[in-house]
Amino acid sequence: MASKGGAAPSTYTHAPTNKTRRPPFFPDSDVDWLRSDGRGFHQCRPAFFRTGAVNSAAGSAYAESGKTKVIVSVFGPKESKKAMMYSDTGRLNCNVSYTTFATTVRGHGSENKEFSTMLHKALEGAIVLESFPKTTVDVFALVLESGGSDLPVVISCASLALADAGITMYDLVAGASVSCLGRNLIIDPISEEESFQDGSLMITCMPCHYEVTQLTITGKWSTANLNEAMQLCLDACSKLAKIMRSCLKEAASASKD
Amino acid sequence: MGLPDASGDLSSEMEVDAFRRLFPLRYFERHLSESIRPDARPLGRARDTTLALGAVASAHGSALAKIGSTTMLAAIKMEVMTPFNRVTGRRLHWPAEAAPVISKQLSDTISSSGMINLKELSLVSGKAAWMAYLDIYCLDADGALFDAALLSAVAAFSHLQIPIVSLNDDGKIELISEEDDGAKLEVEPVNKEKRKLTLSSIPFSLTCILHKNYILADPTAEEESIMETAVTVVLDSSSRLVSFYKPGGPVLAHTSAVQDCVALTRQRVKELQNILDETLSGMEID
Amino acid sequence: MVGLSLGEKHFIQGGIDQNLRSDGRKRDTYRPISVETGVIPQANGSARIRIGATEVIASVKAELGRPNALQPDKGKVSIFVDCSPVAEPMFEGRGGEELSTELSVALQRCLLGGKSGAGAGIDLSSLIVAEGKICWDLYIDGLVISSDGNLLDALGAAIKAALSNTGIPRVQVAAGASGDEQPEVDISDEEFMQFDTSGVPVIVTLTKVGRHYIVDATSEEESQMSSALSVSINRKGHICGLSKRGSAGLDPSVISDMISVARHISEQLINKLDSEISAAEADEDEM
Repeated sequence: MASKGGAAPSTYTHAPTNKTRRPPFFPDSDVDWLRSDGRGFHQCRPAFFRTGAVNSAAGSAYAESGKTKVIVSVFGPKESKKAMMYSDTGRLNCNVSYTTFATTVRGHGSENKEFSTMLHKALEGAIVLESFPKTTVDVFALVLESGGSDLPVVISCASLALADAGITMYDLVAGASVSCLGRNLIIDPISEEESFQDGSLMITCMPCHYEVTQLTITGKWSTANLNEAMQLCLDACSKLAKIMRSCLKEAASASKD
Repeated sequence: MGLPDASGDLSSEMEVDAFRRLFPLRYFERHLSESIRPDARPLGRARDTTLALGAVASAHGSALAKIGSTTMLAAIKMEVMTPFNRVTGRRLHWPAEAAPVISKQLSDTISSSGMINLKELSLVSGKAAWMAYLDIYCLDADGALFDAALLSAVAAFSHLQIPIVSLNDDGKIELISEEDDGAKLEVEPVNKEKRKLTLSSIPFSLTCILHKNYILADPTAEEESIMETAVTVVLDSSSRLVSFYKPGGPVLAHTSAVQDCVALTRQRVKELQNILDETLSGMEID
Repeated sequence: MVGLSLGEKHFIQGGIDQNLRSDGRKRDTYRPISVETGVIPQANGSARIRIGATEVIASVKAELGRPNALQPDKGKVSIFVDCSPVAEPMFEGRGGEELSTELSVALQRCLLGGKSGAGAGIDLSSLIVAEGKICWDLYIDGLVISSDGNLLDALGAAIKAALSNTGIPRVQVAAGASGDEQPEVDISDEEFMQFDTSGVPVIVTLTKVGRHYIVDATSEEESQMSSALSVSINRKGHICGLSKRGSAGLDPSVISDMISVARHISEQLINKLDSEISAAEADEDEM
């Protein structure tokens, strides 16, 4: 690699190499370091949402947050499969997949097998399942490009797609994650930051109800850090929900005209 | 809905909608006899077509093709490998998302059209070559899937930027990352000149539905489900026939109908070529 | 699946409200825990844990492997849980698969720490034999034998016990191999390294039923839960992982409260487990 020994570390890892790249910052020292995309530690990437991305679906949404690009379609409610027992509440079926070109190394997205169940858990509490008995709603998410914090983006986008499909919900679900790097907490980490993180925390919540629908934590956390991280995420979620809401309003006023 | 003054209009609208659902074939035939389609297109016209290049930053070449609301995302990733067939190797990979039939048709079309000169994918003769992985995802399906898939594939190949590589001391190929480009290089890149593929005779296609004596170009999903006989013609940019598919169907086509399909395709190829050229030149200005 | 009548449901919920559960326990009391180690002779370490009627086995197998190219100074650990239909007919087919994945992922999250390895219960760098070339791969398998609630805590405890029971053979690396060559190794039959398990966290699941939360819920109680938090906490009181189950949302202040309660309970659980584990080890030595 030509940058070997060079002073400026490259921020773009092109393809698998046998060398580990050191992080371009000093997690254990007090030296101020900058995030490679120039954001502040507590600053999210700009988020973009649009509903109605897929014509053939009952509802759909496209979300973009930095390099992370996600598309979600919602189909149904339609009759549950025969093998399913009668149920007086509706069923939710979620699936998250990655395109083969989503990650820098081809086909690495399949590592995230648990995302489908995580999406299901995050959304289930927000949906009024009683409003579509005996039937199933399918939520299919496709990560077009993975740029870090994929799951929170998928979850936010999916709740928007559900709203677009007219599924009754108590509230939108917004997701955010925080990485712990040394002493610092950084919100909305990109893939590179995620790969060096000491710990991570993801919250999805219903901002109007102020209720957490899903919470996962890994790594080592002290109480102070944990509380700060949770607060950061909750603030980010309520801001994100505003953007999502305005996206829905725009779509609604556009369809009126 | 439910405004008192609009209720008269609404009820007639509902009737049309109900008629469309209950008697789809008659609904369509009534339109066809007036030489128009329910979406206000003349029979031989394709839907609005747009192309966007470089939609996927993590791929080496990518394109998003939209024909009406049918949307296809194609992306190419390049990897270095030892060629398994003497000089060069290339494999096309199709995800399960696209129907296997379309995948087969596409790989046949692309390889038989001679669009890609496999020699250009060779790096060090007999030792290293590029493997191009092409993946196409259908984001929205509304008819004419093959046409959109082929268009996105062709556009992705025209957008493809082959990464620069160098040969290190051990005789292994190493990638040179973009940012070091222009900086002083320790080693001379192997393929400084060959960063774009020269695409010769690019194939384009048009799918037509045959119904009685009508020929409907570029059908929507609804049209495809009601009238089952489809004909797909693939021509290259110099109007030579690359492939022709008519997978059965209740309508047996006269040779004149086939000629009409080919004629429609010839027009369409010019349109598509223009769209591709404009998109490519738009990229260069940026 | 537990089918309960309305009366039974009220009985369970009412008992929890009054801090007297159906089996006579308080909200924060565990069922009796018993630990048995070395139950699988073929494995490098194993343990069986019983918490009330819940019974699980964990085994640790160590094999020599090659470290990941991206982390040449670390060994690899994989955790897999099998919920066999032997324990409950519901585990057959997809239901069991989903639960297995859920438990495996939760355990990985709780025991393996962040991407950089911080907060890991198992020190991955202690598994390295020759940097970039040879390392130990630990295969941790959990098996649910009988299920009566609180599976995750039981599996976490079983893995902790199995790890302290684990002996990894000492390996001599032949000097002289250079470059890309794989060095030759000599695996000792007699000398074993004991695993340092002081950092392995315990998992405490708090199940919320009505307005209160309980520890060590039985299947009957779990069927009445609105949500549950599984918190993994090490001896120093650090949170090493957390996952939430159940569809109902939780207020953030409730979450903080639950975490601090879990931390308090974890101290007692760690002490209890440690004494049980050392007693089990002593039993095994006598035999």
